Amino acid sequence: MHHYVKKALYFGVPTLSLCLAALTLQAGEPSLIKVGFNGDIRSTEPGVNRDENSDAFIMHIVEGLVAYREDASVGPMLAKDVTISDDGLTYTFTLREGVKFQNGKPLTAEDVKWTWQHYLDPKTQWRCLPEFDGRGVSKILDISVPEPLKVVFRIDKPNGVLLATMSRPDCGGSGIVHPDSVAADGTWIAPIGTGPFTLGQWKQGQYVELNRFKDYTPRAEAKPDGFTGNKQAFVDRVRFVVIPDAASAKAALLSGGVDVLPDVTAMDEAELKNVPGMQVRTSPVMTLGGLLFQTRDPLLGDVRIRRAVALSLDYSQMVATLSNGLSTVNNSIIPTTSAYYDATAHTGYPYDLDEARRLLKAAGYHGQPIKLIVNKRYPQMFDMGVLSQAMLQAVGVNIVLETLEWGAQLERYQSGNFQMMAFSYSPRFDAALSYESVTGNKDKEPRKVWDNPKALVLLREAQSESVAPKRQALFDQLHTLMLADVPMVMIYNGTSIGVVKAGIEGYRSWPISKPRLWGVSLAATSK
Amino acid sequence: MFRFILHRLGMAVPTLLLISVMVFALIRFIPGDPALLMLGDMADAQSLAQMRSSLGLDHSVVTQYLIWIKSVLSGDLGFSISTRQAVLPLLLERFSVSATIVLVAVALATLIAVPVGLFAAWKQNSAMDLGLVAGATLLLSIPSFWLGLLLLYAFGIKLGWLPVVGYVTFADDPLKAITYLVLPIVTLTLVEFGAIARMARASTIEVLRLDYIAHARAKGLSEGAVLWRHALRNAFAPTWTLVGLILGNLLGGIAVLETVFTLPGVGRLMVDSIFARDYPVLQGCLLLITCIYVLVNLCVDLLYPLFDPRVKL
Repeated sequence: MHHYVKKALYFGVPTLSLCLAALTLQAGEPSLIKVGFNGDIRSTEPGVNRDENSDAFIMHIVEGLVAYREDASVGPMLAKDVTISDDGLTYTFTLREGVKFQNGKPLTAEDVKWTWQHYLDPKTQWRCLPEFDGRGVSKILDISVPEPLKVVFRIDKPNGVLLATMSRPDCGGSGIVHPDSVAADGTWIAPIGTGPFTLGQWKQGQYVELNRFKDYTPRAEAKPDGFTGNKQAFVDRVRFVVIPDAASAKAALLSGGVDVLPDVTAMDEAELKNVPGMQVRTSPVMTLGGLLFQTRDPLLGDVRIRRAVALSLDYSQMVATLSNGLSTVNNSIIPTTSAYYDATAHTGYPYDLDEARRLLKAAGYHGQPIKLIVNKRYPQMFDMGVLSQAMLQAVGVNIVLETLEWGAQLERYQSGNFQMMAFSYSPRFDAALSYESVTGNKDKEPRKVWDNPKALVLLREAQSESVAPKRQALFDQLHTLMLADVPMVMIYNGTSIGVVKAGIEGYRSWPISKPRLWGVSLAATSK
Repeated sequence: MFRFILHRLGMAVPTLLLISVMVFALIRFIPGDPALLMLGDMADAQSLAQMRSSLGLDHSVVTQYLIWIKSVLSGDLGFSISTRQAVLPLLLERFSVSATIVLVAVALATLIAVPVGLFAAWKQNSAMDLGLVAGATLLLSIPSFWLGLLLLYAFGIKLGWLPVVGYVTFADDPLKAITYLVLPIVTLTLVEFGAIARMARASTIEVLRLDYIAHARAKGLSEGAVLWRHALRNAFAPTWTLVGLILGNLLGGIAVLETVFTLPGVGRLMVDSIFARDYPVLQGCLLLITCIYVLVNLCVDLLYPLFDPRVKL
């Protein structure tokens, strides 16, 4: 008997201790996911004093009336449904019932009205104010609250991109916040939103945390869908750790310093996918990478030279090199993941060196240097420039690279002071927004590369139109016109590459690229 | 000595004023607009003008300078354009991180490198001397970021002994704080060791050739006594000047190491503020660095007589 007692103690006590320890850990230690960020956030105010990281962070705390779905289409978020009047001038949002702010107060239509009035106040300095105050497609004339859960927006002109603009992450998703987020004098305190996470500790320059909002009211859908759908949080805390250096970020992932790196380079992807315990998540994104021309330049004002450049680039080879084989060629400004990317948009420039030489000869080009601006902050822009230079040599185009710091390049872009420029536009989630970013009157907006009155008319129509097939026809016409005009050469859309440690479940990359930590859980082994 | 200190501090005032003008003007000559960097590729002209106005960038450069210098003289370095934080507390917070690493690393490097240099000089041209010189030269030649990454890979990833990224303050958790600081301190110690050891060796060789050392040996003093009591004091004076220069240089920021080890130091703050064209932070950083140089050089000068009695203040 004594022997059995000893044996039972010998095996039983450690087993029991382990079980108890595991239980204590599970019950006592809050679950935490650490995510690498390449820079600190700028502020916690949605769409104000923001950058890419600030947008990604704030989208966990606040939610708008509508939001982007996984496929970059727009769907309801805080709204149960949205109805648009026949004349396209009245938008009625019916709010979901039972939604609570993070301070426990219920969401009402009055809160929506208050938030929008706050955004539309120029003193707020909301980034997206120009889109709604008449400088853009239309102006919000009035916001009214006919019922406690119904809010009505009246605009002056039909606007096919109103909901898409409202959903933009750089606008903070037009996230609805409780009035207590702002002090009596109008200064920002902290976001009190309706999202699945609340603002946690922010150690500037080190990390910023999110805490799970325990009373979050998810939508009825079974799963998350982009920035909408069921956004239930499964971890207690998320910490975004600031790691500016890519090599250090990789080291942090390998050593367990972080669990998720939402944005790694194609080179690192090739290495990390072979490391045991790492999972790679890729998705095409909506960034627009290409070469811009200054069409008012004495040399590049000749469309034959611009077309010769477009025909001299071996796009397949270039994109394979730039993206390590992860992206595909796209000569359209409509991203490949857009619902409006059709067969017409798929049409691009052929690789035709003979025709390029013929055009250059006809234009009287005889090797005059053409300056191409690149920068080293974003390696893909630099590489795009270097590859273009090499490929254009084959037809005798003399490209001289001018390497600038990113801030200086942005200034040259804004003023239109360049001949050629390797550039990458931040994602536009609607085809009209993509065209809008490049089309305009150069006298008024020197940054616009495509100054064609016919294109402007087509764009205005596309911006006002909300019927999809009619918009598609307009985008097809715009693409054909752009291929003929060659104000720029679109080359490809980027790829979002996220790497997560084994044991992190539910994390996905997506066309909008921003990390999302709702719907993400820790497997039992990694807690 | 008091008059010397007052004189030196008095001399620092015009230097700082001149530097403030240069810093202010030079920063504004750098192409790139902070408002544009904040608004990005979607900025329209009106939004840009509004942003510039809200940041106070719509005034003339002279007016901007006068507003800034008036605030500086009242102890207010302004607010960050990027994060809207007050610059002075931000600088002090970040400087404490850089200063901890730099002071510990330079102290360690000096404590190790001086005896090593002394020993190498004593064994001049021996295999030991050649080995030490080669080692010091090697360490001197390795870029700090590369050495940092190597150590990070070995001790952080392969062995898993030390954390790879992050920072914990001593106030929060002293033990954890040490684990986060070990790798950057070791990296910096190794990098600075080379320069200090070589200087210590060279100045000791020079001193060992002097008559008073021959006299000490002739008196029958042991080699240890000759080296430590007689050679070290004189040989250390030039090394101390070098240590002062290194300190001044490093306290101004170890941006590369801070980036590799993701430490929230003043160097990284300065680099970030350059990229963001965050003028108030950048001006604050440069002013702080100038003050550090002035103070470190003053301290070195004040301590000089301890090692070389011929120097009078």
